[in-house]
Parts: sequence; structure tokens; C-alpha cells
Amino acid sequence: MSQATAGRPSAGRTGGRTARSSQPGDRAQWSRYTQQAGLIACVLVLAAVFAARNGTFLSPSNLIELLRSATLYFIVACASTLVLVGGGLDFSIGAVYALGAVVTGLLMTHGTPWPLALLAGVAVGVGVGLANAAASIYLGVPPLIATLGTFFVAGGVAVVITGGTDVYGFPNAFINIGAGSVGGIPYLIFYAVIIGLIFHVVLERTVFGYNIRATGGNRGAAAANGIRVARLDMAMYATSGAVAALAGILGAARLSTASPSAGGASLTFQVVTAVIIGGTSLFGGIGTIAGSALGAILFAEINNGLQVINVDPLYQNIFIGVILVAAVAIDQYRRKRRYRT
Amino acid sequence: MAGPGTRAADLELRGITKRFGHVTALAGVDLTAYAGQVLAILGDNGAGKSTLIKIISGVYHQDDGEIRVDGNRVVFRSPADSRRAGVATVFQDLALVEVLDVSTNMFLGQFPRRGWFVDRKAMDSQSRAFLEEHKVTVASVKAEMGMLSGGQRQIVAIARAMRTGAGIVLLDEPTAALGVRETAHATNLIRDLRGRDTTVICVSHDMNFVFDVADRVQVMRLGRVAGVRDVAATTKDEIIGLITGSVSDQPAGELP
Repeated sequence: MSQATAGRPSAGRTGGRTARSSQPGDRAQWSRYTQQAGLIACVLVLAAVFAARNGTFLSPSNLIELLRSATLYFIVACASTLVLVGGGLDFSIGAVYALGAVVTGLLMTHGTPWPLALLAGVAVGVGVGLANAAASIYLGVPPLIATLGTFFVAGGVAVVITGGTDVYGFPNAFINIGAGSVGGIPYLIFYAVIIGLIFHVVLERTVFGYNIRATGGNRGAAAANGIRVARLDMAMYATSGAVAALAGILGAARLSTASPSAGGASLTFQVVTAVIIGGTSLFGGIGTIAGSALGAILFAEINNGLQVINVDPLYQNIFIGVILVAAVAIDQYRRKRRYRT
Repeated sequence: MAGPGTRAADLELRGITKRFGHVTALAGVDLTAYAGQVLAILGDNGAGKSTLIKIISGVYHQDDGEIRVDGNRVVFRSPADSRRAGVATVFQDLALVEVLDVSTNMFLGQFPRRGWFVDRKAMDSQSRAFLEEHKVTVASVKAEMGMLSGGQRQIVAIARAMRTGAGIVLLDEPTAALGVRETAHATNLIRDLRGRDTTVICVSHDMNFVFDVADRVQVMRLGRVAGVRDVAATTKDEIIGLITGSVSDQPAGELP
């Protein structure tokens, strides 16, 4: 790469252009959104196809149902975006989703006030997250393996403490936080919007978010420049665990049931897939909450739309698989054109 | 030129030893560096130059020996410790984040804050002003690092170390990846640093560069100090002799 630099006319021969022209910078900003433009186009085209086959797809009640079905995935996806941007990976989320729900559920059925039970469920998620970070930092276990391990442990604990059966009989106040709505719009949608905005601001504006992105982009460089990467890992995985548990608890409230078999591997894979379809890189440093929101909406749209037009929902996975590979292939192609290596 | 003895050292290493398993990378290495001077560290591959730099920058911790900054003993357990003591390092791999823009890289680990938030405007305008002042040409401070050429990246990495206002700046092979014009630019930046009374320590293979910019040269050989010379009072032949071992300050028996 070095030999090519001497002959580059733009690299400094014209003294007047010192750090002035902003075009390539604007292009860099712009290209962050091109994949999202592709996703939006994909969402709109699919909507047109579904609506052409069955007009009720675009009815307000169906659109609200579509968004509601995306909310829990999206809430977990926000934290997963943070983890992937930070150069990590959290596969334990599906099991933490179930464990958080059954811990909160069991505590409530044994007489604990629901706010305390909710906090305890979230705290269990934080604990699993800290274990994930500790295993990868202090034992040198790659995040993929560490979180796969805790996926099995957390899922196993959820089954053991419930005896494998669903937990129900929750106070109405608790059920209302997951099943309630205002003006026909479920609370869950509001939670998703609020959590999404918080994660967006954290990732794009705060020192914590900048440090996460720098660490994911080049861990060695971040550490060499004084960023405390181990501490960031702890915060990142703890957040992921907390949010996964919270989503599981909200899901339990919505269904009035905490099931040890909720979430699981399918939630983990769907969330990670939605995040990656949304433009977040598996290799860290790159990704946005807006992209993950689009990924989650695309998922929900395909699921919902195929039902509305009476296509067997089993076809869903085939669509998802093709879109996932296509999205990553397009991303790789764009990056190859943009960066010098 | 201030030499040893005329003033207090601004960075002083005494008896630094570092082992990796059975390999002794550094064996009782001393180093003294003064403000407003450039100390070059020369040596063949495996002489211990990079290990020495990594100990001063906090990446490694020495097994034995001590480091003093302005006469005060310091212990570096991490790069953050080293930075807090006023040491800025330009690593050979540059330690830049390619997916992030130039100004974020300029402030990596030291973002200007407004409470919990990064003061993006201040960061961009300070980066732009600093790069212009030092005639560093990048298309935009918002351009991603990965879009810059290797030479531009090297210059930005040096500019970042200058920006921190650190009293001690370490450069590991600052010209290894540079063309002729960029080497001249890097040389100017290093002279700027010296002019601002910074303590500059520079590891290099490039003899011409060293004789051009350095005030003193410390030659490493097989994990020990082979000799220290004032550039004005030595020759390239003598330095090459120290590097290869044909000239030695140490009693022959002490060399491994």
C-alpha cells in the first residue's frame, strides 16, 4: 500500500486543499445509509407484493400486529447490535430470554411483588452477561464459544427450576405491562421505540458508544489508545443479558405465561440475522440501530405477509436465508470497493 | 545540545529486563532521553527495539528494572497508565481504526466530552485546525481512515501523538511505510515536536533518517545496549559497527 502513495496527486501536492474539501467525507456518511436504502426498498416491494395479493395486509390493525410481532426481537436486537458493533457476539440471548422470564415468573408466583421480581429477572440476565464477558476476557474463550456455553447453561437452568413446565398465575398489573395498549397501540411498540432511541443515542453520540465502536473496529488500536476494552466488554455483555432478560419478561407478561422453552436457539438466530441484514458487520465497528430496526421489520413483514397471503409459513426460512446471504454479499462488495486494504 | 549530566532526564529507564518464556528480549537495558531532543533507537531485527518501545508505552510490563518520568518512578500496567504519565506512542501498526473517521481517530481514547456525550463539533473543528496547522492533507476529517493511503495514515498517526500534547512521544518505525515526500513531512513533524521541547524517542531502521533528525543514537544489540552516541560526534560506520557487533562499548565477556 505504501508504494502507491507517492504518486497520488490528491494526497497533498495541492497545498490549498488542506483538510478542506468535504466530498469524500460526505460520501462516507452517505454510504452508511445506502444499505438501509436497499432494505427500505426491499420492505416496500414486499409490502406491495403482499398488498396486491391481499389488501388487508396494509390495514392499520394488521400493520400494528406486524410491528407488535417485531418488538421483542427488535428490543433484543438493539443490545445485539451494540455487542456486534463492539466486536463481540452473544449467542446466549435466546436462553437468557427464557431464564429471565421464568425467574421473574417463579418469584411472582411465590409472592414476590412484581416490580422486584422483574428486577431480579433482569439481574439474572446481567449475571449471565458478566459471565460471558469474564469467560472471554479472563479465560480467553472466544465469545462465540463462551456465549454458546452460557446459552446451554441458562437454558438448562430455566428448565431445571421450572421442572420443564410453564409458569403462570401472574398479577394483572404485571400482565398489563406486556399486554396493555393505549389508543389501540400496544405498549410493547412504545417500549421498542423508546429502547431503540436510547440505544441509537448511546451508540452514535456517547463516549461509551464511540469507545464500543472503536473497540469493535480495531481492538488492539483501542486498547493502545487507552480505551479500557475489558471494562467495555463487561458493560456490553451485561447490557445484552439485561435486555434479553427484559424482553423475555415482557414476552411472558404479554402471554401471561413464562415458558422455559420460549426464545431459545430460534430467537438467537433470528435476532443475529436481523441485525446482520440491517447492515451490522460480524467483524465489528460497523452497524446502526436504524438498520437493525429495518432488519427486524423485514423479518416480521415476511412472517406476517406470508400468512396474510396464505403461503405456508414454513417457506419463511427460505426467504430469510436468501436475504441474509444477499445482504452480507452486497455489504462485502461495497466495502471492497471503498477501502484500501 | 544538552547532554547527559547537564540536566535531569525526562525519561529514564534503569535495568529493564523482559523475558518471554525462555527468551530474554531485554537484559538490563538503560535509556535516558531529554526534552527538546530526538533519541533514535537503532538495532538489527531481534535487538529488542520494539520490546523496549512496548514497555515504555505500557503494552508490556518489564520483569525487572524501573521507569522514571521527570524523576518520578512510574509503573505502567497498561497503555492507559503510560498515556496518563504523558507518553504518546505511534505504534508500527499505527493503532488506527479504519472504519472510523479521521477526527475520531485523532481523539481515540480522549474524546472531547459534554457530559456523557462526545462533543462532535469540537472534535471535528479541533482536528481540522490541527491538521491544517501541520499541513497534513486529508480530503476531510470525516473521511474514514480506511479510505486514506498508507502514507496519509502514518502522518495522521504522528499528528495524533502531537495533538495529545504529550511530553514524551515514541515513534516505532515512523518512516517504514513512507515515500520520499512523506518521509520529509514526517521529519518536519518530528522537528516541530523537538521545537516544542518534547522528548522524542524514535525506533528506526533508516540510517539516513536517523542522521537527519536525531540528536542522539542508542544502538541495541541482542537485548542489550551496544552504545549511545551524539549524532554530531559519530559516523554511520561507527553506528553500523555497533549494530553488527564489530564495535562494542561493553566488555567482551558480557555479551551473550
